Amino acid sequence: MTYLRRLPKFEYVGPRTLTEVCSLISGGAPDDAMLLAGGTDAILQMRRRERVPRRVIGLKGVAELDFVREQADGGLSIGAMTTLHSLLSAPAIRQRYAILHETAAQIGGPELRNIATIGGNIAGALPCADLPPALMTLDAQIKLSSHRGERWMPLRDFFPEFGRTVAQDDELLSEIKLPRPAPYSAGTYLKFHDRQSMDMTVVGVGAFVVLDDDGRTVRELRLAYANGAPTVFRAMKAEAVLCGQLFGEKVLDAVAEAACSESSPRTSWRANAGYRLSLIRALTKRAIRRSWQSASSQKGTK
Amino acid sequence: MNDLVDVSLQVNGVRYDVAIRPWRTLLEVLRETLGMTGTKRSCGEGQCGTCSVLIDGEVVNACLYLAIEAQGKEIETIEGRPEGEPVLQQIQRSFAEKGAVQCGFCTPGMVIATKALLGDNPQPSEDEIREALVGHLCRCTGYVQIVEAIQDAASRLARERLR
Ligand SMILES: Cc1cc2nc3c(=O)[nH]c(=O)nc-3n(C[C@H](O)[C@H](O)[C@H](O)COP(=O)(O)OP(=O)(O)OC[C@H]3O[C@@H](n4cnc5c(N)ncnc54)[C@H](O)[C@@H]3O)c2cc1C
Repeated sequence: MTYLRRLPKFEYVGPRTLTEVCSLISGGAPDDAMLLAGGTDAILQMRRRERVPRRVIGLKGVAELDFVREQADGGLSIGAMTTLHSLLSAPAIRQRYAILHETAAQIGGPELRNIATIGGNIAGALPCADLPPALMTLDAQIKLSSHRGERWMPLRDFFPEFGRTVAQDDELLSEIKLPRPAPYSAGTYLKFHDRQSMDMTVVGVGAFVVLDDDGRTVRELRLAYANGAPTVFRAMKAEAVLCGQLFGEKVLDAVAEAACSESSPRTSWRANAGYRLSLIRALTKRAIRRSWQSASSQKGTK
Repeated sequence: MNDLVDVSLQVNGVRYDVAIRPWRTLLEVLRETLGMTGTKRSCGEGQCGTCSVLIDGEVVNACLYLAIEAQGKEIETIEGRPEGEPVLQQIQRSFAEKGAVQCGFCTPGMVIATKALLGDNPQPSEDEIREALVGHLCRCTGYVQIVEAIQDAASRLARERLR
């Protein structure tokens, strides 16, 4: 009856600025202090006693981490405390980063999206999280902040192993940056799950295609997977198979095979590994086909 | 260590100064400290929607929200304002008249979610209604009547505004 349990005791601090957060975590003892963003996962972890922090650092009051800002270079910058609801309401995301909009809309219901944040979805390091694969196909960079300063890295290098990130104990994820979308490009995220809604992902496939000026040759392909391995990951060998090629069913088969050999899905009560591999094969092709179609239709209109 | 923290919560337009423990959820404080048991507790993990309340007009699961983080925000529950709330009352009447209430346990959450929905989108389509309620379970499975009740409330409130 975990659901009836109260949360474990903790002391609560509610910093107002990023600088305050950084100094609160500068001691760096992981089980001592826990960051609470939306809390949609963190509260459940505490209820199940998977985490029993002495101190909870609530981030909801840190207004400077809640923003969606268009950049001078044509890119987009998103604060870690931006809720999924705010992502969905941002015109720049709907118009220029459709894959991110499409993905956020598939997570939970309104109650969840009003509090769950992009930072929590990434930093939670769940292999089934839906935003990281979509963001990886957009070549997202992330910023880690600490009392020592800040550093940027590609999101694809953030998850070294199951449930972990490369962030140090004194660092927090503060910002996500998306480069300006290339012309003739499009992506899609296919989330496979048993129910229509409110269900965790069995396998999620993000694909993003950038075409050459001829509108047919694939200049770049980016593929990223939820639940394809112990962490969300980019399948870079599979991507290379299609680069510089003309789009076609035969090469698509080869990409899907390569993606399967880069994957190592697990067996759980939701699905066994073999089933997940079949999903990866089928959904990889479907996601690339759809992305290619919408990228090449842009070519037609310009 | 004295665990109690003084907080001030604004619920249905009324201010409550209470001493709470920081690890209490908003749901626990509403039900146990403030005695407002209209908001229900069921799954405790954000799946069922019975604990839905509005925070600054947005619908959230009170079981996944710390009470201490609700300070300074406007909380609205199924109890409504003491002076009465026409929109909330119309939604409740529509639920009753359209047979959308069976055992009634999911009703407060559904009504609150409806208030949020109609605030953003006064004339939702059936798909939009179903989409707004994905986080709500009715184990009596009376979903058809619930959708009808929300359509009824939407059209009555629209007529009201025209008058
Ligand atoms: C009913 C339900 C349905 C769900 N459905 C989905 C779904 O379909 N897809 C999906 O991907 N997820 C889903 N989730 C999981 C979860 O809600 C999301 O991953 C959410 O985005 C987490 O964000 P949060 O702000 O609530 O994070 P929190 O719960 O606050 O934090 C999650 C973890 O990240 C850490 N953290 C948070 N912010 C930072 C930061 N800025 N820097 C460093 N560490 C940080 C926290 O300490 C914690 O360990 C669901 C959850 C529920 C309850």
